[in-house]
Amino acid sequence: MSKRHLSIAITGAGGAGVISCGELLLQAWARQGGRGLLRKAYGPQIRGGESAALLKLTDDECYTAASHYDLVVALDWDNFARFEDEIRLGPHSRVLCDGSEEIPASVLAAQPGIVELPFAELASACHPEGRVNMLVLGVLGRLLGLPSVGLVELAARKLAGKPQAYRDAAAACIEQGAARQLDWKLQVPPTVATGACYMSGNQAAGLGALEAGIRFVAAYPITPASDVLEWMAGGLEQVGGQLLQAEDELAAINMTIGAAFGGVPAFTATSGPGLALMTESIGLAVASETPVTILNVMRGGPSTGIPTKSEQSDLNIALHGLHGDAPHLVLAPLDIADCVFTTGWAVQLAQQLQTAAIVLSDQFIGQSTAIVSEPRRCPSSAAATAVPTEGDYLRYKLTSSGVSTLASPGDAGQRFTADGLEHNEKGTPSARQSDHQRQLAKRQDKLSAFGFGDDWAQISGSGAIALVCFGSSSAAVTEAADLLAERGSPARVISLRLLAPLQTDALRAAVEGCSTVVVVEQNHSAQLLHYLKGYLDFPQAVHSYAMAGPVPLAPEAIAQAVTEVINP
Amino acid sequence: MTEAIKLKAKDYKSEVKPIWCPGCGHFSVLNAITKAMAGLGIDKDNTVLVSGIGCSSRLPAYVDSYGFHGVHGRGLAIAQGLKVARPDLTVLALGGDGDGFSIGGNHFIHACRRNVNITYIAMDNEVYGMTKGQASPTTPMDWDHSKLTPHGPGVRPFKPAALALASGAPWIARGYSGNPNQIAKLIAQAVAHPGFSFLHVMSQCITFCPEQTDWKAIVTEREEPALTSADEAAKLFLHEDGFQTGLLYREQRASWPPERDRAADQNALAGLAASFRV
Amino acid sequence: MSMDDKDPNTELANFLAHSLELESEAQQRYGELAESMASHRNQPVADFFRRMATEAEHHQQEVSELAAGMTLPSLKAWEFEWPEAEAPETSSYEALHYRMSLVEAMQLALANERAAEQYYRGFATATDDVPTIAAATRFADEERGHAAELERLIAALPEQGTHHREEDDEPHMPE
Repeated sequence: MSKRHLSIAITGAGGAGVISCGELLLQAWARQGGRGLLRKAYGPQIRGGESAALLKLTDDECYTAASHYDLVVALDWDNFARFEDEIRLGPHSRVLCDGSEEIPASVLAAQPGIVELPFAELASACHPEGRVNMLVLGVLGRLLGLPSVGLVELAARKLAGKPQAYRDAAAACIEQGAARQLDWKLQVPPTVATGACYMSGNQAAGLGALEAGIRFVAAYPITPASDVLEWMAGGLEQVGGQLLQAEDELAAINMTIGAAFGGVPAFTATSGPGLALMTESIGLAVASETPVTILNVMRGGPSTGIPTKSEQSDLNIALHGLHGDAPHLVLAPLDIADCVFTTGWAVQLAQQLQTAAIVLSDQFIGQSTAIVSEPRRCPSSAAATAVPTEGDYLRYKLTSSGVSTLASPGDAGQRFTADGLEHNEKGTPSARQSDHQRQLAKRQDKLSAFGFGDDWAQISGSGAIALVCFGSSSAAVTEAADLLAERGSPARVISLRLLAPLQTDALRAAVEGCSTVVVVEQNHSAQLLHYLKGYLDFPQAVHSYAMAGPVPLAPEAIAQAVTEVINP
Repeated sequence: MTEAIKLKAKDYKSEVKPIWCPGCGHFSVLNAITKAMAGLGIDKDNTVLVSGIGCSSRLPAYVDSYGFHGVHGRGLAIAQGLKVARPDLTVLALGGDGDGFSIGGNHFIHACRRNVNITYIAMDNEVYGMTKGQASPTTPMDWDHSKLTPHGPGVRPFKPAALALASGAPWIARGYSGNPNQIAKLIAQAVAHPGFSFLHVMSQCITFCPEQTDWKAIVTEREEPALTSADEAAKLFLHEDGFQTGLLYREQRASWPPERDRAADQNALAGLAASFRV
Repeated sequence: MSMDDKDPNTELANFLAHSLELESEAQQRYGELAESMASHRNQPVADFFRRMATEAEHHQQEVSELAAGMTLPSLKAWEFEWPEAEAPETSSYEALHYRMSLVEAMQLALANERAAEQYYRGFATATDDVPTIAAATRFADEERGHAAELERLIAALPEQGTHHREEDDEPHMPE
């Protein structure tokens, strides 16, 4: 682990308030100008189960999950075993715990430095409502050099709706914790700059969508996408939009289509199982050329899978899940801040190209919160408006770009019936070969002829090795590339943001000069590898690093795997 | 200040000719829709007909308004999304008994519950006509003319009006394809009703259910005003023969969503972005 | 027969409004049936219905001429009063079959003419208004004439063999 990062795990159960502690700590760190990521891990209970706040304080915004923890603060040891995969310790690690419970054998086996502090006793001593998590917050704040007054203020804001006694207790415990002298010297990363944003990928995606013009959202809850919909519900009302809670995903996607047909940019969000339900109607959007954007926050699959963990295993269904030849857009944000840009871009493209855009986020970036500099925005593009035509309006008129003018109900004299049936230029259903060929070509060409520009991928570094990935695996791959460079094997990282239509020429150019390509992805069957190989004849050797969830991709493991590939 | 639009019924027809079999009851519904639109002086550009899949779902193309021919069973979802996003439009959802009560069953009950201000016309011929005559959820138990269910479905059919009532529909009416003028009147009332209006039209299928020509002997027209008590309506819908026509039930129920000033706060977007800054 | 004044509530205005609607409905319906038969490739019946539509259009013209200068009540489709569900000369959609024979189509039209005649006669006997009685009687007589014409046409049709509504092929599934 690099000295520039500090990873802290706070665990506890039974309503200990571990997540709140982590959130407040990170927010305070943000105010100082720090950077960092907060991931959350839970047991299956809705409340009162075991939970873990997994923080990684950094001096840059390349956010990967920590593989080893510098500090573990255990409010209690209830079922800590659940987190063993994630929270790895070593002799360099410190453990802070209450002392009243037996420390798990697996923790002791790692031989960390252990300090015991009677949390419960101290908390109740300083205030009858005193809670351990606030005490710990104070302790950690001190260790990071954060002023306790800031922590008290953030805690008060979080507890604004609660009785005054809660806020008083919180303040007392924070101060009590801050007063503890622990003779540890933690390597705290330097701060970067103040004025940052604190957000989750799900919130960022919602923001990107609203900024790009979404004013209608159909919502059916599913883990881990419900937060997007909930955040947007509040935002939509403020911007004059509307959210409609659907009875299922089949309704959600069709409501989205209905609103879009009405000329209102429309959006929905779901995860794998919901996307599977939606596929028939996404095809309807493609065939009828109705613009819709679907955010798919990927989780462990297949089927019900592992709903609370991240994976990148919905690439196949996003690319190939529509029946028939139904070309459409697939994009994947690269990190939390990029959710703003990529979701906004997807919405714009969907509107402009009159098709369906699937945005592949995942649980890792969706539900982690991070401190990010002001996110990049997609420059707004003027939407083409329908121009009244002479004579009959041809909704699906063949044009050089493949895009026809799009009328909406209310536009005078441009009445048409949109249809999932194959149709002629007018929109009348047709089973003629000529019409089918032409419309298939139109729907394909409007995408393949479009100039998407440089944002199709983020490319960095250079070397003999090309590491290709998509979406959120970008950070882990980038960090792996840093490790490889340190070890004398520099690599170029190509993080795909636009997956369909695949920018084959640009990709070919990007890997040119490299002798080895390794495709890295967080799924079991190497979906990206097979997709790329299907479209490109790579001149160089192509290898695969495909590791499914539930544990986040580990840069070290990737670097080692690549090393083995180049030095077999 | 718009002038009242004085189009005739035939002016609301598109130039696309229906492919329905001669003898099909859906011609009546098309006829009725155009008469209702003429009677209401509806603006073609602000009207949308939305359908699913099936013979009756072909209807939107035959009317000179905007239309959406969606996928099987999902017309009501499209229609509600459209109306919520564009409350200024007049939205009619159309479909058959298979589309609406089988694959679309879930959307049907939720549409009744949700009470968005649209009109839903279900053309019920107790069969899947488009796919060559399979039993539908309203097919009589002993109808044995389908190869899929050669002994008859053996399962009791739904009572759509009862389903609608139980799900919360505040306006329930029935028509019969033998009386397009009555259907027209009911459609006009449905469109004017500020909420979800369910019009159940018994519309014969000449090809797969020629016996339905016998319906004309059992169809009756409701003389009394519509029921306003859900209890009484429940009794009626559970025990009637399913062929009483007219406005059968109506209650006062605010439609959804409630009227809300949707003017956007100019600074709202900037405010939302700012809410993330620490 | 005298032309009446501009009051839309006179008997005559109401009668003419109904006649106009009757002929208009007949014309529209015959037109629809003609198209429907044509698209199902029953050309003889399609042609026949097309002729009936044209005739109905002529009658519509006649009524319009008669009503010139009058203000007729503006009624919605369901506000007209008919003896049955639809206007008398309107063929019920359900009376059709794609393989109906020409004689069946003519018999359908004949039934329409008789119904129309009956309607007009009924109107004539139910009112005291002289111009209305005159108009209704005139129209009734015209319908009687049309019916007679159709009877002659039916009689003049060549001997029909057994006509099958059944065909050998199974129904087709378009979607």
